[in-house]
Amino acid sequence: MEANTEIKNAKARIEHIEDVLSSVAAGELELRIESDIEDDLTGVEQAINLLIDDLTHELKKSLKMKQEMEEKLHKIQDQQKTILQQQEDLMELSSPVSKVWDNILILPVIGTLDSQRTQIMMENLLQKIVTTGCTTAILDITGVPTVDTQVANHLLKTVTAARLLGAECIVSGISPAIAQTIVHLGINLSQILTKATLQDAMIYSMKKNEQLVDGKVKTNYVDLDDN
Amino acid sequence: MDFNEKRIPIIKIRDYLIVSIQVDMHDRLALQLQTQILEEIYRTGSKGVLIDISTLEMVDSFIGRVLSGMASMAAIMDAAVVIVGMQPAVAITLVELGLEMPGVDTALNMELGMEMLEKRLNKA
Amino acid sequence: MLEIVSDKSWELLEKCPILNEYDIVKARQIVREFAKKEGMGIVDQTRITTAVSELFRNMFSYASGGEVLIEKGIIEEKPTLIITCIDKGPGIDNIELAMTDGYTSGGGMGYGLPGAKRLVDRFEISSELNKGTTVRVMKWK
Repeated sequence: MEANTEIKNAKARIEHIEDVLSSVAAGELELRIESDIEDDLTGVEQAINLLIDDLTHELKKSLKMKQEMEEKLHKIQDQQKTILQQQEDLMELSSPVSKVWDNILILPVIGTLDSQRTQIMMENLLQKIVTTGCTTAILDITGVPTVDTQVANHLLKTVTAARLLGAECIVSGISPAIAQTIVHLGINLSQILTKATLQDAMIYSMKKNEQLVDGKVKTNYVDLDDN
Repeated sequence: MDFNEKRIPIIKIRDYLIVSIQVDMHDRLALQLQTQILEEIYRTGSKGVLIDISTLEMVDSFIGRVLSGMASMAAIMDAAVVIVGMQPAVAITLVELGLEMPGVDTALNMELGMEMLEKRLNKA
Repeated sequence: MLEIVSDKSWELLEKCPILNEYDIVKARQIVREFAKKEGMGIVDQTRITTAVSELFRNMFSYASGGEVLIEKGIIEEKPTLIITCIDKGPGIDNIELAMTDGYTSGGGMGYGLPGAKRLVDRFEISSELNKGTTVRVMKWK
C-alpha cells in the first residue's frame, strides 16, 4: 500500500517538475519546484531550481546587453545623422556667396572641387543672383588647385545658366595648372568671360555697371540704405 | 478640365508688350501665344516684348524652342524680346537639356528687363 | 512585348494615359507632385518633370499616344521614382541615332531623348519596329 502511495507521490512530483520546466521553457522564469518531502528526488528538484536560477540570471544579463547594444546602435545612428548634416552644412558653408558691391556678387571657391560640391555651389549662386537681383557674379577660383572635366563642365553650366537668368558670370583666378588642364582636356571655355585676378574682375564689373568712371568710383551708385 | 479657356493676356504699356505666363502651357497653347504676340507686335507697332516666366516651374525643349523662336521672329519684325525671371532650377535644367538659347536676351526681373529694352531703343 | 518589366518590389503610384496634349501637361504635373512627395530638391523635381515631358511628347507625336506608369522603388539603396512610357507606335529604327544630340525625325530640335537622358539617373529604352517603344527613366533622391 505504502509503496503505491510513494509511487503516486513521486509521479505527482515528476509531473510538477514537468509543469515547471514547460512553464520555464515558455518564458515564465519566476516559477520554482516546491516540495516538502525530502528524499532522493529532492536533489534533482534542487538541481533543477538552481539551473532555472542560472538561466534566469543569464537571460537577464543577455537582455541587458541587448538593450545596451541597441542604445549604442541608436547613438551611432544619431552620430551618423549629425555627421551627414554637418557634411551638408560644411558644403554650404564652403561656398559663401556675398554681395560685395551694388549689383556685384562674389563666390570665392577654395579647395578641391568635386562634382557634388560644384553642383550645390552652382545652385546656391544662381539662387542668390535671383534673390539679390545682382546682374554680375564673380566666381573666383584662385583657391582651387585642380579641376577635372566634370568640374569644368559644371562651371561652364553655371555661367550659361546665369546668363539664362539674366546675369553675367565672370571667372577669375585661373591658375597656370588649371589653364593647362582645361586646354589639355579640350574643354572650350571661350564662351566664358575670364579675368586674371579678382581685382581685374571687380574693375571690369564696376566699369560695366558704370560704377567706375575714369578710374574713380561713383559713390552715388552705392545705395547706403540698402541692407 | 478645359484648357482651351485659358488665353494668356498680352498687355501693352507705352512701346512695350508685357506677357506673363502663369500656367503650365501645353504645346498648342505655346504656339498660339507665339502667334498672338507676333500679331500684337504687328498691330501695335511695339518695339519690345517682355515675357515674364518667373512662375513657370518647367521649360522643356518645346517651350524653349517656342520662346527662342519668338525672339528671332520678333527681331525680324524689328522688336526685341526679353525673357524675364527664369527660375534657377529651370535654367539649370535647360542647360543640361542642351538648350542654351543663344541670342535670346534675358533679365532677372521686369524692372531690369524694361531698362534693357529702353537702353536698346535709345541706342537705335 | 518588349523586355522592360517592373520589379515586384516596386509600388505602382499612378497610371496615366497620354492621348492628347492636355494629358502631357497633366501627367508631368503628377510626376512633379510625386517627386516633391519623395523629398526631391527643386532642381531634381524640375529635371525629372522636364525629362518626362520630353518623353510624353515623343509618345504623343510619334506614336499618337500611349501609357505611362509611375512607380517607386529602391534602386542602389536610394528611394527612386521610376517612370515607364509604353507606346504601340512605329518603333525606333536606329536607337543609337535617336539618342544623338540634334538628330530628329519629326521636325523637333532633337534634344528630346538625349536631353531627357542627361536629366535622369538611369535611362532604359527598347523598341521594336512596327510594335512600339518603351522608355524607362529613374531619378533617385
